[in-house]
Amino acid sequence: MRARGVVALVLAIACALAAAGTASAQGAKKVLRLGQPQEPQTLSPFIDQDEEDFRVWSINYKLLVDFSPKDLGPVPGLAKSWTISPDKKTVTFKLFDGAKWSDGQPITSKDVKYSLETFAPNSLLFGSYVENVSAVETPDPMTVIIKTKRPDARIVGGLFAYILPEHIWGKVPVKKLTGSYKPPVPIVGSGPFVVTQFQHGRIIRMSRNRYFRGPKPKFDEVQWIKYGTNDAVERALSLGEIDIIPEVQEAAYARLGKTKNIKAISSASPSFTQLAFNLCSKQNCPDAKFNPAVQDRTVRQAIAYAVDRKRINQIASRGTAFEGHGLLPQFYKSFYSVPADDYPLDAAKANQMLDAAGWKRGDGGVRAKGGDKLSFDLFVRSESPQTVQAARLVSEMTKPIGVDFKVQIVSTDKLTEITTRKVKGKIAPDFDTFIWGWGGDPYDPGLLLNLLTTKAIGESSDAFYSNPEYDRLYDEQSGEFDQAKRKQIVSRMIAISQRDLPYLVLTVDPTLQAYRTDKLSGVTRSCPQPTGDITCDQVTGATFVSMGPATKAAGGGGGDSGGSGLMIVLIVLAALIVIGVVLVLVRRRRAGREAIELER
Amino acid sequence: MRLRWLGAKALGALVTLVFVLVFNFFLFRVMGDPTAQLARLPRAGPEEIVKLRAYYGLDKPLLGQFADYAQDTARFDFGISQRSRRNVSTELGDAIPWTLLLIGTGTLTATLLGTWLGVIAATRRGTAADDGLLGFSLFTYAAPEYWIGIILILLFAVALPLFPAGQQLTPGADFSSGFAKAADVAEHMVLPVAALTLMLLGQYFVIMRSSMVDVLTEDFVTVKRATGMPWNRVVRRHAVPNALLPLVTLAALQFGAVAGGVITIETIFSWPGLGELTYNAINDKDFPVLQGTFLVFSVAVIVANLIADALYFVLDPRVQSA
Repeated sequence: MRARGVVALVLAIACALAAAGTASAQGAKKVLRLGQPQEPQTLSPFIDQDEEDFRVWSINYKLLVDFSPKDLGPVPGLAKSWTISPDKKTVTFKLFDGAKWSDGQPITSKDVKYSLETFAPNSLLFGSYVENVSAVETPDPMTVIIKTKRPDARIVGGLFAYILPEHIWGKVPVKKLTGSYKPPVPIVGSGPFVVTQFQHGRIIRMSRNRYFRGPKPKFDEVQWIKYGTNDAVERALSLGEIDIIPEVQEAAYARLGKTKNIKAISSASPSFTQLAFNLCSKQNCPDAKFNPAVQDRTVRQAIAYAVDRKRINQIASRGTAFEGHGLLPQFYKSFYSVPADDYPLDAAKANQMLDAAGWKRGDGGVRAKGGDKLSFDLFVRSESPQTVQAARLVSEMTKPIGVDFKVQIVSTDKLTEITTRKVKGKIAPDFDTFIWGWGGDPYDPGLLLNLLTTKAIGESSDAFYSNPEYDRLYDEQSGEFDQAKRKQIVSRMIAISQRDLPYLVLTVDPTLQAYRTDKLSGVTRSCPQPTGDITCDQVTGATFVSMGPATKAAGGGGGDSGGSGLMIVLIVLAALIVIGVVLVLVRRRRAGREAIELER
Repeated sequence: MRLRWLGAKALGALVTLVFVLVFNFFLFRVMGDPTAQLARLPRAGPEEIVKLRAYYGLDKPLLGQFADYAQDTARFDFGISQRSRRNVSTELGDAIPWTLLLIGTGTLTATLLGTWLGVIAATRRGTAADDGLLGFSLFTYAAPEYWIGIILILLFAVALPLFPAGQQLTPGADFSSGFAKAADVAEHMVLPVAALTLMLLGQYFVIMRSSMVDVLTEDFVTVKRATGMPWNRVVRRHAVPNALLPLVTLAALQFGAVAGGVITIETIFSWPGLGELTYNAINDKDFPVLQGTFLVFSVAVIVANLIADALYFVLDPRVQSA
């Protein structure tokens, strides 16, 4: 009798739990789910630096001038139009009338002034965009005048500093904002969706901004779900728990692409991986340590002819990246062209060049001239398996031309120390060559071009290249607002850098993404079209407006796989308990009989 | 005599704790100047470095830093996470209950199941059931926990999608009641708890089995049997309680292994406990958080060992008279 009661109770609990489990996951909202292993830090643009933050910000905020999903060129953002003064040092912006923040407050020139004068200079990442700004004037609520110390083309199309609502952030002292301040939720913004929940360690929900000026998004909510590891994210996509992975790992790319209802895409990003040479002059780096042969241009050019960049992509990057063609990745659609000196694979030519330059083969086939030997250290970061692989390939590919690379695998911290070493306050790099990478801005090529300028020595320069002509062209292009004219100047800079080769760009890093074809509609490859990614990753929220749920799979729900599982387990448990109780009762009876018999 | 024994054990634990505190402080400072790592800005300029050094108190001499650290730790102030900018104690406070839930349920299930199966195997020594159970438990004992976890996911979340593959709650779900939420957590717990159970089961089984085999050959069992007491009752009332002794201490002593295993299991199942927190802190070089989790794990192992000693003291009269 008692046993029957226990069984009934267990079954009742099983049914109730299973019912509750399935009922909880229902919902009518149209939700777009994206999964990533990590979550943003705090979502404060003052202090955060991670890509997970940029993904959210790019949807939460509009820029003064936005990036076009078509070619990343400048399109109206908060500003509807702009005029450039004849001396190119003053740009006057007109804001959209009636535009509002997500809390209903009007968006005015005061917000722009606050963002460019208080937010950007005090932030960790946005300061460089306003370094040339000398004044921000606001003659009326709808007009902003930005004056710069010298012409700066980034003011239109490259002012990558978010415009924050002054009525919210302006109330908080800057000291607090740059300390451990966390923005309150909802995070008032101007983009198509704004953050309405940040549940640490789990999820960020972004709801549709009812004051968004633009087409109505097809989804009601965007969710960023944290999974802890890449494996877990990939599994979640395979199981249909999420719709998009904004950043897929190389190792998983091919596998995901073969999975049913999943499409994996690879697009060129604004980042590259380069073989860098130490070109620091005696004057700039009196105490630098390196093999002087690395500063022979013919040697670098010969190395470039001997290195098979296509093969490096195939093997080290598993074919997911793109072959490098000079300093600018093809991502920069408005400024990119394949350089004339592109160093196609030609080992014979490499040998000829070195022979002609007097580099004779010596011990072990390694070439030498005078006291110098073509034997170089090649540093690479242990944290990046694909660049370690690339370094080994470079070493293998250059052996036949008599150049010996000794691959040295070190930590990122160690390589930073080697490249930024200082002696008596002067830069004193301690390497011959290394393989590492750089990433640029969404539209403006200035950040990448700057790496090879003389003024970057002591800052971001790590090849320590210096060329007055290159520097002059850099200044010229940075003040040129006309895109066609600027492209011509940029091409000349690329030609110089290809001739002198402070960097041999091996591969352009890919943005790898994957999404559920059965759950999404209106997916277009953008930023730039038609070769970019599907989310305009970290750049703009435009594609989050055009994307919608697939007509069949419309509706929220999701993650309802487990209810039946729990039910089954509880039923099995209940069955086991029933069997156990029955067995015990039977045995007791038998045991009782046996005992009585024995006592007789 | 008894109290002295217990006191010595407690003192030993205290000394270990102090050692851990000191070690914890220096461990994260022998790796060179932590500023660059703390700032997550390997290329920070000299001014920023000076500011950051002052902010984290790194401009003080080492002894001064240690005094700050000792005071802060005594107040349960472990600093601020470099990544989330939340108090480390808040991060720990959020993670500990989830880990306790996982470890508690897993250890309980493994102990009960291991003991039960151990008794079954010992009483059927030499039979096919004994061989089968021994083989199975040695297999799960030898298999690495990450492998068990991945296999469970592949079988019961991917091939046969009965359970969620990870996390503690369905992402984005709104729950109508606390009951619905508890059900959701229970559902998400099945696979990680199963992995932890399988990881621990073998040891409990093997210890219980061999302990039972010893006890069953003791004279008092033969005597009880001779009095005509039914076999089941001999086993239940007399053999099992005597065989349980090594198991009690094992449960406490094994805590160190559990803490290690839970890091892997939580990471595989995206379970938001101390293990996942540690894993992420390692990846992010978030040293304040790492220091916090290291301290919590160390203290937990020390306390578990002390409890094991105390339990042994209570349960085994031979220790008391020694």
